[in-house]
Amino acid sequence: MSDKVTNYPGTSLTEKDIVDGNVLSIHDEMQGDFSWDTGIAIGRYLAGFKEGVILGSHCTHCRKTVVPPRIVCEWCFRPMDRFLPLGDTGTVNTFSLCYVTWDVQRIKEPETPAVIEIDGASPLHGIMHKLGEVDPQQISIGMRIKAVWKPADEREGAITDILYFKPTKE
Amino acid sequence: MTLLERDPNAPSFWRDEMQVTNRYTFGIAGERFFRAIKDHEQILGSHCNNCEHTYVPAAAFCERCMKKTDEWVDVGKVGEVVTFTHLFVNYDGSQREEPETIAFIKFGDGGLVHRVVSPDSYPIEIGLQARAVFKPLSEREGSILDILHFELITD
Repeated sequence: MSDKVTNYPGTSLTEKDIVDGNVLSIHDEMQGDFSWDTGIAIGRYLAGFKEGVILGSHCTHCRKTVVPPRIVCEWCFRPMDRFLPLGDTGTVNTFSLCYVTWDVQRIKEPETPAVIEIDGASPLHGIMHKLGEVDPQQISIGMRIKAVWKPADEREGAITDILYFKPTKE
Repeated sequence: MTLLERDPNAPSFWRDEMQVTNRYTFGIAGERFFRAIKDHEQILGSHCNNCEHTYVPAAAFCERCMKKTDEWVDVGKVGEVVTFTHLFVNYDGSQREEPETIAFIKFGDGGLVHRVVSPDSYPIEIGLQARAVFKPLSEREGSILDILHFELITD
């Protein structure tokens, strides 16, 4: 529908209008501090990163292994049976080439987030992370990848303890 | 350890900060309203002849009959205290020794919410008049804070 509109109503503004003071504006910053309880499972998950391990949890009843770990099985609603370390390798389930950063800056080299099925978890179970050491144009669904970790003494128990996943030759 | 116990070595919380910034432009009516404050120390309202209603701050359209408002009027600098409150807590949650008073000051059929100071700590009351005190021209930047505060008229 919008392609038929040639003349949009209203007043269009450019950055220059703001900078030159042609229009008044207010710039403000909200304080977005937060503290989020990691809970039992995500606490363990983050602690696992410090050890260089991606942790999942397993429901014996459903024979499901999920990542990130949870304490309740989302299929049978029973408590999960155990945490277990998974591999730090996996498969690209889906990916995106992002030419815009989180704060809306245009970039030439795209960021490459992907959903990664982690080896050891049930099929189609995985996490979102970034891909690296790869030509963005060569990324494909099904590509085999491996985590690149921060040095052990720099890890702090965060998802960013994994820098990115890089392709492996198999 | 069962799955229902926390690992004492695991981080129990994640602390972070969301960066939320915003830029607001006032729109056509708002632009004219704040220009008048900035350049002329004027508080402007707009009047709807159909509804006999004066909007303050000025609005481009009447929200009762949806027509364009007919004329812009200078509503003066003196309004009436309709309601007020004393704030003992700062914006960041810390306690204040001396309260700050804010009030709704009526102009036309609308009004402004702003700080109120009273000379000689005269107690504020509903129905009192208050006069807008503006910042010096060089410090005004087209914001409601170009009005420094309202001062109670006590005599």
